[in-house]
Amino acid sequence: MPERYLALLDRILTPVLFLLAVVFLIVGHNEPGGGFAAGLVVATAFLMQILARGDDFVRKLIGTYLQPAMGVGLVIAIFSAILSLPEGAFLLGVWWKIPLPGGAVLEIGSPTLFDIGVFLVVSAFVTSYLLELSRPARGSRR
Amino acid sequence: MLITLLALLAVSAPTLWLLKPQRWRHAGWLAALPPLVVTAWLLTQLGPVGQGAVIREHYVWSEAFGLALDLRLDGLSLFFGLIVAGIGAAIAVYAGYYFEKKTTLGYFYALLFLFMTSMLGLVWADNLLALFVFWEGTSITSYLLISFKLSDQKALEGARRALIVTGMGALAMLGGFVLLGQIGGSYTISALLALPPATFTSHALFAPMLILILLGALTKSAQFPFHFWLPGAMSAPTPASAYLHSATMVKAGVYLLARLHPAFAESPLWFWTLLVVGGITMLMGALIALRQVDLKAILAYATVSQLGVLVMLLAFNSQTAAVALVLGILAHALYKGPLFLIAGIIDHATGTRDIRHLAGLAKAMPLLAAGVLLAGLSMAGIAPTFGFLAKETLLEVFFYWMESGDPLGLVGLIASALAGALFVAYSLVLIWEPFFRRAAPQKQAAVQHPPSALFVLPVLLLAGVGTAIPFMLGIVEQGLFAAPASAVLGAPVTLHLSLWHGWTPVFLTSLLAIALGLLVFWLRQPVRAAFAQAPKKLNGTGIFDGLVNGLYTVADWSTRSVQGATLPTQVSVILLAATGFLLYAGLSSGTLLAELGINWAARPTFYEVVLAALAVVAALITVRIQSRLSAIISLGMVGASVMLIYVFFSAPDLALTQFLIEVLTLVLLVLVFFRIPPQEVQPIPKRISLRHLLISLLVAGWGFGMALLAAQRPFFATISDYFSLNVLAAHGGNIVNVILVDFRAMDTLGEISVMVVAALGGYALLRASRLRPVQDPSQPTPPKARSRRGDKNA
Repeated sequence: MPERYLALLDRILTPVLFLLAVVFLIVGHNEPGGGFAAGLVVATAFLMQILARGDDFVRKLIGTYLQPAMGVGLVIAIFSAILSLPEGAFLLGVWWKIPLPGGAVLEIGSPTLFDIGVFLVVSAFVTSYLLELSRPARGSRR
Repeated sequence: MLITLLALLAVSAPTLWLLKPQRWRHAGWLAALPPLVVTAWLLTQLGPVGQGAVIREHYVWSEAFGLALDLRLDGLSLFFGLIVAGIGAAIAVYAGYYFEKKTTLGYFYALLFLFMTSMLGLVWADNLLALFVFWEGTSITSYLLISFKLSDQKALEGARRALIVTGMGALAMLGGFVLLGQIGGSYTISALLALPPATFTSHALFAPMLILILLGALTKSAQFPFHFWLPGAMSAPTPASAYLHSATMVKAGVYLLARLHPAFAESPLWFWTLLVVGGITMLMGALIALRQVDLKAILAYATVSQLGVLVMLLAFNSQTAAVALVLGILAHALYKGPLFLIAGIIDHATGTRDIRHLAGLAKAMPLLAAGVLLAGLSMAGIAPTFGFLAKETLLEVFFYWMESGDPLGLVGLIASALAGALFVAYSLVLIWEPFFRRAAPQKQAAVQHPPSALFVLPVLLLAGVGTAIPFMLGIVEQGLFAAPASAVLGAPVTLHLSLWHGWTPVFLTSLLAIALGLLVFWLRQPVRAAFAQAPKKLNGTGIFDGLVNGLYTVADWSTRSVQGATLPTQVSVILLAATGFLLYAGLSSGTLLAELGINWAARPTFYEVVLAALAVVAALITVRIQSRLSAIISLGMVGASVMLIYVFFSAPDLALTQFLIEVLTLVLLVLVFFRIPPQEVQPIPKRISLRHLLISLLVAGWGFGMALLAAQRPFFATISDYFSLNVLAAHGGNIVNVILVDFRAMDTLGEISVMVVAALGGYALLRASRLRPVQDPSQPTPPKARSRRGDKNA
């Protein structure tokens, strides 16, 4: 029963992968990472779940959200582009500084928002393909 | 104020939809309020604008691109605005009764008001690009209104034809606008018109620019040979036909030509194109109208004919022609609009629009008969109606031309008089046959559902305004006619219109035309019989459909020849095309190959050699190995060694992405191959194997050459510096990602949009494969390399 080991691995690895994706998404502007890589990591995490618990489980979990997520991602990206219209141009970077307790300052800008849009599109795109392809074909021997 | 009015109409569209107007019997009156407000405001401007005042509004949209929404209200814009808003109000009332509590009424109002917004924006815009956007807005709303009845296949086809014809024209026009903007140095229409006309007419690109713009205007205004879409558009609900396809939208082309008239009218190309196209359209429309039996079809061809008249008038650069144009536009809107509405009421009351089944309606619907008399006599151009005034001025244009000594003026005069005679004939047909004759030639339709007086009221209002105008010329002529005419002409116009000129030659010609029209009306049965003999095949619709089908055939053929074969062949075609282009570029410049200098002295480091060797070996294994799974894994090896190279060259971002992609690709491939039933791997023939090898070597050389070139010739060295210098200004430390989401965010936006589309397409494909029966592996697999396989047979 290799699935049992896989399930164990999934228990441990999947949260780590999701965390990694979040880290990639946040640090992306300064360190290796970014929305594209984060999206791929999330897709890998779902792949892990598909292998460990079967595609039906994952499909029930997130199947209905994938197509909407792509649309939402695209909308977020376009919205971040429109944000800078009052500044005079499409897709100009707009930044806000939010002081955090403890003296640190969090910089959030429209590029971050844009990156989140990219992340949503990429993760949903790859995951939807993984899910569709892992669906057992009719008449196959599985 | 202009923008407020546009916003008012735009907001009314969804509001009326949400209010569910079908719940109230008299909802039309509520819907008429917004256009009435616009009309009222425009009427207050008649005085000042008539004195030469111009209202301008300027809203910056994007400073960086120089885009602004410029609105401008001068005589011509005011004139068209009044037609759009005034008739719009009447249509809104009418539609409330026409749809009679049908649930689609709200949707209709939404489309109608969106159209109204676009159309008003179109005539008020002072910027070519803004005008284009509004122009397309009218095309799209028109498309949705024609295909309003989704179950009607003919309506859908008509809508598609209309959209393709006007859409293609609009694209050509956009090209023309860009050329015009480049020549004149501005996209602001008033700035362009302020330039001396010779700036345009003596420019080398004048002819292409003019032809492109004319294509847009002539397709929109249904001129020969693009006229066929307009009769096809008659599947729209009657209020929409009356409004869009007669009174307003089809005049957008005329409006554009009138707007640009001062700049281009000097050019012979302009003169002859408009004269010939307009003349042919005028005669042809009038002739075809006679042969129709559907009330709306008669009116549609009559509209085509009248549009021809207007376009023909625009050819001339004289005060009389400008005045005739303005009179023609308003007269037409005020008689054709009501006539369409009458056709709708007849349809509503009797259930048919076929003139062969209609007779004696005047008894059952006396108010409607009054309306048809007012509007129909105006269309016929019989004194003292508004149509008469317009026709007199039209004939004057040609009479003056003839008097100037040009024999062509006589040809024009005869052609216009002939068209006038045909106008008389079918106007009389429209008045006489449905309303006053005793019995219909075929089974007579009964009035089952007589219209309420309020339903007929918009008809009477419009026809009444048309009737009243000739008797109050002194009050309205300055604001309503002189101001737009001077905008068309580009010079001040002074007017003294009157109904009665005395027994002038023009009046006699007019009388002659009426007499001829009466004759044609008298002989209408033999005339129709003669027309029925004419071949039906040879019309624009047939030619257009043939063209569209031809396009499908070509697309089918090209797709099959490039992508119809097996996967290796498809990939070969794509890769060879890429290689071919580079080879062509390299060979044609001559120096490119010489620049491929390789620095032989450089010694690769140890790990570089190992990684390269690893990649090569893995690639060889991929090709040689028999098992698919092993091939996938060794392909992953290639990717992994490439990733390691990225790591050594300190590109962690690329390495990370490459790694993730490799993993996912591997799994995807495994999943894909898992679904394909295992089959004997057949040995590939030597010949094909050799061909693949050759292509691979070529492609490899291509990639190698590209890499070398990119390293040797830093094409855009300055850009890298710009990125690394500004990366901190963009609040980021990771240059790759800052480029992705900030400097080059537009590219990324495009990429993720493509990704979403590809995802949806791929998703559909993957699901569709499940619909097909699973293939029995024992059966022979159909396609071999080379065999052409269309999807139809699959």
